[in-house]
Amino acid sequence: MPQFFSDNINSFNISNSFTTVDQRSEILAWLSPLEPRLRHQDIRTRRVDDVGDWLLQTDQFRSWYDVTGEDEFDKAVLFCYGNPGVGKTYMR
Amino acid sequence: MIDTLCDRARGQNVAVACFYCDFTARKEQSPTNMLGAILRQIVGGLKEIPEGIVQAFEDQKQVIGGRGLRLPEIVRMLQTISSSRRTFICVDALDECVPEYRVKLLSSLRDILQKSPGARIFLNGRPHIRGEVERRLCGKTLSLSISPNEDDIIRYLQSRLEEDTTPEAMDDALEADILESIPESISEMCVRETIPETYLSHLLIVIYLAFCWFPSRLKKSCEKQPSLVGERSSLQSPIP
Repeated sequence: MPQFFSDNINSFNISNSFTTVDQRSEILAWLSPLEPRLRHQDIRTRRVDDVGDWLLQTDQFRSWYDVTGEDEFDKAVLFCYGNPGVGKTYMR
Repeated sequence: MIDTLCDRARGQNVAVACFYCDFTARKEQSPTNMLGAILRQIVGGLKEIPEGIVQAFEDQKQVIGGRGLRLPEIVRMLQTISSSRRTFICVDALDECVPEYRVKLLSSLRDILQKSPGARIFLNGRPHIRGEVERRLCGKTLSLSISPNEDDIIRYLQSRLEEDTTPEAMDDALEADILESIPESISEMCVRETIPETYLSHLLIVIYLAFCWFPSRLKKSCEKQPSLVGERSSLQSPIP
């Protein structure tokens, strides 16, 4: 995923080229010892394509995803609930 | 969901980060570690690590043995990053988190939203935590019930059938029978609500059917090829 947000960032001042590759990975490891990416990769390989597509068409998903402006704060969280094993983790 | 958000985010100034709560790892999944992992993913996706973080890292090295960031510091950093770009934070299986940790996690997410109202948070978990999530996040929550529809179950079964290692044991009639009767029985069970919440889930029933009902049906259709029956029972399901 990292390649998806390689654009500029403008809030923090950027520490141009002061960080080496080693220091970079040292800093990332310092931020947290946990690596949810590994679990994500595992789920990704087991997920069946298109299962849960309907979720993306619901009013709830759309207003959560698309909303901007004054309403955005009021629709900031989308909580999907369901019994164990119904496939929450594997939704598209 | 993460993949969908990532696909949509491609080429835009968008960050997506996720965390999977896990009952078996619940002790180490403290709010600091969880939000730290979210921050780590977002920062890991940037070309350069923000100076504030590099500075904090250098400063802590002066302390003997070093020390990690504290929760308020992580929340502040997430607030800063998520107010400068569209940020999606996803947390899976929130119910598996230690309740005390969940309280802190939810209030930290609320703090992030207060500073960056454009941040999007996607959560999932069992129904019993719905009230807690809605209360802690102060009414900013859209809730949605998840249950597999018939199309999902058929897609799932088709993908498993395609991975079948002994396709010669399958014929069109049996396949049609499977694709018809399993979704039907699952729907019936859902309607009757005969499944105890903490014991069986809808998709676990697919496993049951695959291991027990399916081989017995196969036995009938494979009487001439008895050696295939044993292999059939090794049909694997991806549900943990």
